[in-house]
Amino acid sequence: MSVSEAKVVTGQLANLSGNDPSGNTRDDCAVISLKHVTREYAGHGSVVRALEDATFSIVAGEWVAITGPSGSGKSTLVNMIGCLDRPTSGELKIDNINTAAMTATELDRFRADKIGFIFQQFHLIPYLSALENVMLAQYFHSMTDETEAKTALQRVGLGDRISHLPSELSGGEQQRVCIARALINNPPILLADEPTGNLDAANQKIVAELLQDLHRNGHTIVMVTHDPEMAGLAQRRIALSHGKVFCHPVGGPMVTLRRATDRL
Amino acid sequence: MTKPGLSGKLSLFGMLRRSLIHRRARSISALIAMTVSAGVATALLTLYADLDAKLHKEFRSFGANIVITAPASAPLRPDALARVQDIAGKDALAAQFAYAVATTDTGTPVVVAGTDFAAVKRLDSWWQVDSWPEPSTADAALLGQRAAQFVGNEKAVALNFAGHLITLHGVGRIKTGGEEDSRIYMPLAAFTAWTGVGPSVIELQMPGGAATVEATMARLRQTLPEMQVQPVRQLVEGESKIVDRTHALMYGAVLLIALTVAVSVLATLSASVLERRRDFALMKALGGSQMQLMGMFLLEALTLALAGVAAGFVVGSAAAWAISEGNFHTAALPHLSVLPLVFLLNVTIAAMAALFPARVLRGLQPAALLKGE
Repeated sequence: MSVSEAKVVTGQLANLSGNDPSGNTRDDCAVISLKHVTREYAGHGSVVRALEDATFSIVAGEWVAITGPSGSGKSTLVNMIGCLDRPTSGELKIDNINTAAMTATELDRFRADKIGFIFQQFHLIPYLSALENVMLAQYFHSMTDETEAKTALQRVGLGDRISHLPSELSGGEQQRVCIARALINNPPILLADEPTGNLDAANQKIVAELLQDLHRNGHTIVMVTHDPEMAGLAQRRIALSHGKVFCHPVGGPMVTLRRATDRL
Repeated sequence: MTKPGLSGKLSLFGMLRRSLIHRRARSISALIAMTVSAGVATALLTLYADLDAKLHKEFRSFGANIVITAPASAPLRPDALARVQDIAGKDALAAQFAYAVATTDTGTPVVVAGTDFAAVKRLDSWWQVDSWPEPSTADAALLGQRAAQFVGNEKAVALNFAGHLITLHGVGRIKTGGEEDSRIYMPLAAFTAWTGVGPSVIELQMPGGAATVEATMARLRQTLPEMQVQPVRQLVEGESKIVDRTHALMYGAVLLIALTVAVSVLATLSASVLERRRDFALMKALGGSQMQLMGMFLLEALTLALAGVAAGFVVGSAAAWAISEGNFHTAALPHLSVLPLVFLLNVTIAAMAALFPARVLRGLQPAALLKGE
């Protein structure tokens, strides 16, 4: 998507970002909702505005791709959606709860409940087995349950690799452990940051199919990607440039999952 | 919401154990630093606990630290020694002396001292005597190194005091480098019978530091007001200075080593956190609170500190034993009483060393770190 093709959505134009074919925001269905969200950082004697007046929402069960060049504000946006950071101004609601008003401790708890992270570099703890890596997310959420963790690994096709250390798994397998870990607490939102960025074509396909499967089962997926083909799997793209949000309205460029995965 | 808990296969201690084993080299390095710290503290504190007793014992071998002298007009009262011993306590060593100037068979004047050889042998153990006389031998004599030169026959020392003659059997020589070298020592009873002169001096070795000596002298002056009670100044002050300086040296050594170890542990723990920033960032992203992460890290530092205390106590006690044996010829047994102090020191070092890494943890930006930025 080029900037010229996209419609600048700031402030009043944000209504285009919902799933409503009329272009109106459906806040009642939104699992993620940003209104005039700005994030500024203190720089060397100046203020850097990493995200400016972002307004859009994502409804439950939607698959959204966030795209944009380096420095465009993707990480800042993902930090806030992932409850790792709070806006300088504006309102950010996750599951209808304004996270901007939360304390750091409340945000930690909220993050464990609401967000499942899938990382480009997997980020598995090297001295824990696949099963224990999944259970780690349970540990910080509530109570560990070995049976549930095994089931999650079976779901991603790693039922026979549960006792392997990350160093004994391929990149694709590690990413699947990461997905199982993201799913284990049944969060309403899956936040995938370049989920196939470190994978070969075969494993990209496996992970893409897994995400497709999760989406079919009703998970909300917010995926940051540079890969146009992966972005094409999403129902909608949110593009960022220089801290500003550009959204494709519903009906923008869409690629069917079958076609996209076929290409992979 | 349920609180994070421990069940199933994954536990906090399990993760800690695996983490320490996974970073073996780093863990061993930190453990060695903590062991050195605890070992040095144990050794010094164990020696410190016995130091006063050992130094005082050493000083006892230098002889009397109090001299009690009768007034010039009269000798000591017959019960003086018993009263002094009573005031000073049973651990104090005392011996009385009587002095007279006699002439030898070569016509040379010489100081003859009457004393109790058994008491002097204990009191002045630093004297170099080639052979102590038997206490039961009435005519035995110890000849000072210089005095022996004025005697014609050491086996039959003929002395004349105001026309009264006596022949003593010289059984050994004495060498101190002091005035004792110019004297001839003989049993007190024989001396008094020969000269008619009673004892005029009591030398007292009082165990304890300067304060104890001063207190004993005050009691002696009060009880025996007719006598002059004087300290052997150099010895009392020297002992006090050496004890104080040794204490200061030990404190300084513990502090210096503690600081050195703290820097080493700080470097190790900092490197440990910096190496695992991504792991901690991941835990934060998974919902781990600042308190939980800090708790995990501090638990790791505390575990290393405790392991260091256990190993250091064994190593330090062994070192104290060896040092004590080598310097004081007596073993310093392990003192369990030093354990709380060593524990406190190591935990303080670990806590101090954990401050910087804890700041690193507080400033973690999970998103940036997990993104590889």
